[in-house]
Amino acid sequence: MKNWIELVFPGTSINVSFARAVVAHFAAQLDITLDELEDIKVAVSEAVSNCVVHGYREKEGNVVIRASYEESRLEIIVEDFGHGIPDIEVAQETGYTTLPEERMGLGLTFMREYMDELHIYSEVEVGTKVVMVKQIPARQAG
Amino acid sequence: MQFNITVIGQALIATLDGDLDLHTCPQFKDALTKALDTNSNVKNLVFDVQNLTFIDSSGLGVILGRYRAVQARGGKLFFVKASPHMQRVLKLAGMHRISEFVDSTTEVLNRA
Ligand SMILES: Nc1ncnc2c1ncn2[C@@H]1O[C@H](COP(=O)(O)OP(=O)(O)O)[C@@H](O)[C@H]1O
Ligand SMILES: [Mg+2]
Repeated sequence: MKNWIELVFPGTSINVSFARAVVAHFAAQLDITLDELEDIKVAVSEAVSNCVVHGYREKEGNVVIRASYEESRLEIIVEDFGHGIPDIEVAQETGYTTLPEERMGLGLTFMREYMDELHIYSEVEVGTKVVMVKQIPARQAG
Repeated sequence: MQFNITVIGQALIATLDGDLDLHTCPQFKDALTKALDTNSNVKNLVFDVQNLTFIDSSGLGVILGRYRAVQARGGKLFFVKASPHMQRVLKLAGMHRISEFVDSTTEVLNRA
């Protein structure tokens, strides 16, 4: 079976919890464990927080989330139209952050760790798109 | 998110209830900073995470930042009733090396 949702909302911190809850509810349509749901919530929370904190730093704009699944493959796309990432390689280093006073530089590491795939597309002053994939294998009943 | 902060001797005990994320972090951070500023004798930070329903790197940043403040005083970091998920997040952040996982707040207080 195939299914998808699309979500558009202003990139503000108050919407971060809403976003992870909605995606978790959607993912719960699959034969998913509570641990896997926790993983997804962390990944979505980190991705949307990045849109708010970095993408829309001193700027306003919308966040778009597209989540879909087909068979066991769950794909979550989180996109902003903000500042963008000048060097994606460097940004992915564990502990790297452009806001060292307030942040840990762990968001992208968490996304990679909690999901099976992470792809980042970004262009300076155009925006950033992260594509995250998690395999949710069908479980035996019982 | 709701929280409660109490100082007992050299320990600051913070009890968390709900989700600690980008949105709820600032108020928690301010309250912790204020408590540490007014209680310069506090060394150990005890986080009761039994009812903490969510945390990500924004929340961990607040905890690590306050730990750095007491580290200079020889302080330690304790987590009361951390779920396996919470322990995994702390491990990924490299914070398990500086943290102690305990079953109750009294366990920490009895030690001092
Ligand atoms: N959506 C985004 N827009 C612009 N920059 C981003 C975005 N996501 C990540 N970055 C950049 O990548 C760095 C690392 O991100 P992350 O690992 O989440 O750490 P942190 O959020 O703690 O800084 C950020 O500091 C920022 O410079
Ligand atoms: Mg981040």
